[in-house]
Amino acid sequence: MMMMKTAIAIATLLIAPFAIGAVYAEDGEGASTPYFQTTTFNAPIIEDWENQSTDDIAQFHLAAEQATIRTASLATGDVIAAVESELDALTGSQVSPPIYSDKVNLADGTWHVLAYDLDEATTASVMARRAGERTVVISFVERDPAARTVVLTLARTDDAQDDAGREIALALDAIGGSLPSLLKQADNVTLPSGDWVVYSSDGAAAMGMVFGNDSYVALREGAPGDLAALADAWNRTLLGFFITPDNSRYLALGLAVVFAILGTLMGSHYWRDRSLRKDLALLEQLAGEEG
Amino acid sequence: MGGKTKSTTLDLRMETSPQPRLLRILTVFTILGFAGTLVLGFAVAGTDIQQGEIQRIFYIHMPSFFGAFTAFGLTVVGGIIYLARKSETWDRIALAGVEVGLAFSLINLLTGSIWARPIWNTWWTWDPRLTSAAIMCLTYAAYLMLRAGIDDPGKRRAFMSVYGILAFVTVLITLFIIRIVPETIHPVIVGASPQNAQGGFEATSGVVIALLPSLLLWLTLMPITIMWHRVRLEARIEALNLLKLQALSE
Amino acid sequence: MKTPFFNCVTAVISKDLRAEIRARELVSVMALFALLSLLVFSFALELDKGAREEAVSGVLWVTLVFASLLGFNRSMSQERDQGNLDALLLAPVARTAIFVGKLLGNFIFTLIVGLAMLPLMTMLYGLNLLDGWIILTEAIGIFGLATIGTLLATMTVQTRAREALLPIALLPIALPFLLTAVRATKGILGGAPASEWQGALGMLAAISVIYLVLCLLLYEYIVEE
Repeated sequence: MMMMKTAIAIATLLIAPFAIGAVYAEDGEGASTPYFQTTTFNAPIIEDWENQSTDDIAQFHLAAEQATIRTASLATGDVIAAVESELDALTGSQVSPPIYSDKVNLADGTWHVLAYDLDEATTASVMARRAGERTVVISFVERDPAARTVVLTLARTDDAQDDAGREIALALDAIGGSLPSLLKQADNVTLPSGDWVVYSSDGAAAMGMVFGNDSYVALREGAPGDLAALADAWNRTLLGFFITPDNSRYLALGLAVVFAILGTLMGSHYWRDRSLRKDLALLEQLAGEEG
Repeated sequence: MGGKTKSTTLDLRMETSPQPRLLRILTVFTILGFAGTLVLGFAVAGTDIQQGEIQRIFYIHMPSFFGAFTAFGLTVVGGIIYLARKSETWDRIALAGVEVGLAFSLINLLTGSIWARPIWNTWWTWDPRLTSAAIMCLTYAAYLMLRAGIDDPGKRRAFMSVYGILAFVTVLITLFIIRIVPETIHPVIVGASPQNAQGGFEATSGVVIALLPSLLLWLTLMPITIMWHRVRLEARIEALNLLKLQALSE
Repeated sequence: MKTPFFNCVTAVISKDLRAEIRARELVSVMALFALLSLLVFSFALELDKGAREEAVSGVLWVTLVFASLLGFNRSMSQERDQGNLDALLLAPVARTAIFVGKLLGNFIFTLIVGLAMLPLMTMLYGLNLLDGWIILTEAIGIFGLATIGTLLATMTVQTRAREALLPIALLPIALPFLLTAVRATKGILGGAPASEWQGALGMLAAISVIYLVLCLLLYEYIVEE
């Protein structure tokens, strides 16, 4: 009788959360990020931007801002050469020395962060990383003569701070130019890529977002355009680049590993128990022979 | 001499005797519960928009850590009671806790790694939390090596009780590492400070509800049931070793 | 009749000190190892200034941990080989007094090596490590290491594999010390404001105290026959 009660108690304890779970666990909200897949990488497709992709590059263009975001994987181990060939392919202009050059450590390795003033109208910002014999280059080019836009990734300098304000100031210092070094009027916006802090003043704007141990910063001076759209598209490209879109195989692998480990644990119990019984039988046989 | 052998054989028989009914009930419920959490997490729960299918691994990844926590916690309890009472059963419980906890924390580590590949674009990164979880596994692997290296049973039990208590500090470190070394990119689902997290997802009510049964199961039934089987096995092994010794000395 | 606690502690320490002054086996081995390790690191890392600042605290603590491993192993092996441990255990003294005596002996020897490393590293790496706070961090960290090192060495020296098991047993458990000590040292070296590293230093002290209490409680169980 005791056992019966215990069994019922455990069953109730178990069934209750399961019942709640079965009823309330939400079904997927449908639309997931669409990805453009080339032979060597995936890049998220940016809605509202004109898709100019070919077989091995992902390229998106926003005519209103004269901005282009392009991802490519080049068969070279030389990062700088890869970046220069990409910028040449994108703009056709002579590549001058970068106005900003640094490296950041992201989860999958060290990325080069570069920014260029290519000519009067064109600014380019690049993230590039060597992967084996290839180099991945993600470039952002803005050709509006009335504006200058730079997007950068910086390692966070202050863990205590919630927003990217400090990195925005650092980026402003590094870029120099005529951007006012201190922008007032902080504001927060939530975009599909995350929560951004926005600073703006006359003729300049800066946005920053914290992700992982890094801050993603977008700076603009000149004609007030839609910096939020640019920054958001750039970041969705960067962050989406990490994610493998169809990852159900990894899920299957994960489940296989779980079952393998649990199976090994049970198997070792069973195996040890069996050899134990064999030994016992042998001992008893020996004892029997002696007796 | 003969009489003594017989009585030990009897002990062994008792241990191999049918399982207590409570254990059988627990086993059935653990298997059913495990199957249930799989259905809930892998079929009923919705697909995460940003991460896709792989996010479902989380319904095992996080609960398995807490399963390891229970098992390693029972190792501490077993160690303390063994040292106080010198009761061999509690030493067996401590050992069972280490083996089960190690298996669970391996599940935790490997599922995390498999999740990181499609989301962080790497199998492994030297993030503080990942590092401390790996070191936690190594600590308990060291426990098993150390245990195998001590011949004298009394010493072995006492030493390993002490080591099992000390080793728990690495479990606590893994839990609280974000307070010591804040720049971890490991997402925090329960509790504060997801600020640095990379690849976190919103713990909507749907996710939490699908997680809850799994968490409860791994926290209680899974470690306790498997450990109970292991404790009984260890008792039989020890009884057999005693028998072997006696057979040799005869 | 038990010998008073502190008499016993000082007796164990002075025994160790006298043996060390006569034979110079512990400190010399640890110091030589530390020197070699520092040289190997400085060749292996070929660091520029920025990277050096990042790496120096790690080099310091890794070297210290491995040097102390050598020391703990040797000190306990001596006790056992010469039958000192058994004699001590037979004597009517509190077990914890023996532990505290051995702990302080190990602490002093490792601290000597640790302090000697500071001017050496200042020369080798071109960074000023001779700072009161760094010395304090070292003292607390080494005390923590010596606490669990003494306990675990007492344990492993009684096993079959002996020396081989101490690193396996000690390194994972010493991790909390390493994490916090490296963090504090790095902050002090980089000239960061005190608020940034004092937390780590406080944590280091707290963990040392936790381990000390645990070891004091548990030591008697690993020496009873």
